[in-house]
Amino acid sequence: MKWNEKYSIRLSKVCVALFALTVAALALTAPWVVDWFVKFSRAMLLGREHFLLVSIYAAVPPALAVLWLLWQLLGNLQKGRVFIPQNAAYLRGVSWCCIAAAGICLASGLYYLPFLLVAVLAGFMALIVRVVKNVFEQAIILQDDADYTI
Amino acid sequence: MGIVVNLDVMMAKRKITAGELADRVGITPANLSILKNNKAKAVRFSTLAALCRALDCQPADLLEYEPDPE
Repeated sequence: MKWNEKYSIRLSKVCVALFALTVAALALTAPWVVDWFVKFSRAMLLGREHFLLVSIYAAVPPALAVLWLLWQLLGNLQKGRVFIPQNAAYLRGVSWCCIAAAGICLASGLYYLPFLLVAVLAGFMALIVRVVKNVFEQAIILQDDADYTI
Repeated sequence: MGIVVNLDVMMAKRKITAGELADRVGITPANLSILKNNKAKAVRFSTLAALCRALDCQPADLLEYEPDPE
């Protein structure tokens, strides 16, 4: 099997699906995961299990939204629709979801400091995706010019 | 307005259909329609040359400049 862009997009879709299953599983088993994490980790989270649960449940919607947007984006790439305004909108959505996740982690830093690091990483990811979105928007203009050059 | 493409006039003078002209020029009927309806953003010199050859005319017969309304 010769590797190409078609297989690469398929692999990306598989990864998105696996992530979605993981997020869904975490959402369903969060109370037990939190119990296990608090008991077996060295994190000083005893008595703060409820806060951790709230952080996890608050982060699930933006996480699922990111995965849905990525799935739609990959679907468009599979159809050969690359530089279209819809894909730029999907990337904008991903960026905003990362900002939402950063906000949740920032608030969670009030009871568990390492969340602040995750907040910074999520914010950085939002910035990277935003710049990629800007690049896409310029590419859409170039594509439009190319399409209407006879 | 900018540059206006007056293909219809020359096509009528030479009595040639859109499909036939597209075929002679080597572009799709859809692209010819984009040109005719002034939706094109740019025209390649090779396309312009092919149009002039097919319609036996000069570029000035096909292209006209109209200043933007103030």
